[in-house]
Amino acid sequence: MIPQPFEYSAPSTLQEAFELIAGGERKVLAGGMSLIPLMKLRLASPEHVVDLGRVPDLNQITEAGGVLHIGATATHHDLESSPLIRGRCPLLAEAASQIGDIQVRNRGTIGGSLAHADPAADYPASLLALEAQVRLASAKSERTVYAGDFFLDPFTTAIEPGEIIVQVLVPAEAGKEGYRYEKLPHPASGFAIVGVAARIVKSDGKIAFARIGITGMGPHAFRALAAEKLLEDGAPVEKAVATIGQGEEANSDLYASADYRRHLARVRAKRAIQVALSRAS
Amino acid sequence: MKIAGAHVIPVEPERAYALLQDPAVLGKSMPGCDALEQIGESEYHMKMKMVLASISGLFDGKVRIAEPNPPAGFRLIVEGSGKIGFMRGDGLLTLSAAEGGTQVAYDGSVEVGGTIASVGQRLLDTTAKMIIKRFFNKLSAEAAASGGAAGSGG
Repeated sequence: MIPQPFEYSAPSTLQEAFELIAGGERKVLAGGMSLIPLMKLRLASPEHVVDLGRVPDLNQITEAGGVLHIGATATHHDLESSPLIRGRCPLLAEAASQIGDIQVRNRGTIGGSLAHADPAADYPASLLALEAQVRLASAKSERTVYAGDFFLDPFTTAIEPGEIIVQVLVPAEAGKEGYRYEKLPHPASGFAIVGVAARIVKSDGKIAFARIGITGMGPHAFRALAAEKLLEDGAPVEKAVATIGQGEEANSDLYASADYRRHLARVRAKRAIQVALSRAS
Repeated sequence: MKIAGAHVIPVEPERAYALLQDPAVLGKSMPGCDALEQIGESEYHMKMKMVLASISGLFDGKVRIAEPNPPAGFRLIVEGSGKIGFMRGDGLLTLSAAEGGTQVAYDGSVEVGGTIASVGQRLLDTTAKMIIKRFFNKLSAEAAASGGAAGSGG
């Protein structure tokens, strides 16, 4: 279908973008992998679309002081192929490589995906496990929000009106850590029915540190805190993953019921932890 | 699609029941509600603007209260349609005294059709739950705000 008429701007600086998004029915366009289909179906009809594609350097990936700075308009393909991400944060590269299909990965951006906040998106699981931060900027100020405080509800984030995601900050790791992103994709959409990101650090053959992020199961991605604690206390993997989804709300649709999703989260978490363990040195 | 759940509102059952029948309170509590006007006995006309992520749409609909049984419960029927689809919900609300106020339990079914349903099937359940949660959170805030002024609706 053809979208409703809208105005289009492609600012060449962030400052200009901030001015353009102020007031009215405005939408920020990054890769357009969510917004454009919604506009073509006329489920979304913004009056004005502000395209960030021409803001220079907004897609840069750099490292400074042990932190990776990932520009908001870096595409999923940029992430999966970046030597910096592959070397210093392989979990994120692995997650990026499993998003959608090659066309989506070539166009879709990390900032766009986070701002859209689909409850089944792939990045949130990894970003929670990585304790990453999202940098938000507006005309007046700048702030960073932990991934754990960023995803509030389905399609609902901590972004305030007037703010744009400019960067994602991820701690770089030294290479001793084991990691895994384990996902069951929906056969049609490629979205995660359940996706589990695990990070494990071993010390003297035991688990010294565990981080587990889960997407697709509930209204928004979450960290499996009880399971992390059990793993760090030396509990068997089976016992730790059994706590996942306990007391948590789970999504349900024609494809997968809430109980099935909860079960799937545990099974996939177990696999993710086992692979992460085998990769940890 | 079946939906069921429960929320606690921090007022006693009589007050909670009254709040749930007050068009002014309902209008403020329903996410995206632009206007709610009475068109008959326990029947209201509603205009709603749903905004969820990039999706936005205007809905025009009716809210009807049936089988009133104050303060134990009532049946709520909501219908709405717009360019992006239509929805019809029918549920039984049961009020009971609980720790911290009144527990409002709901049990019913929601039908959603049109573009929004064919495209968004995978998201209907979580979205419906989120909207209901927001409604009750807002209602609780309204209840707390009007806590001292019982009977102000008259």
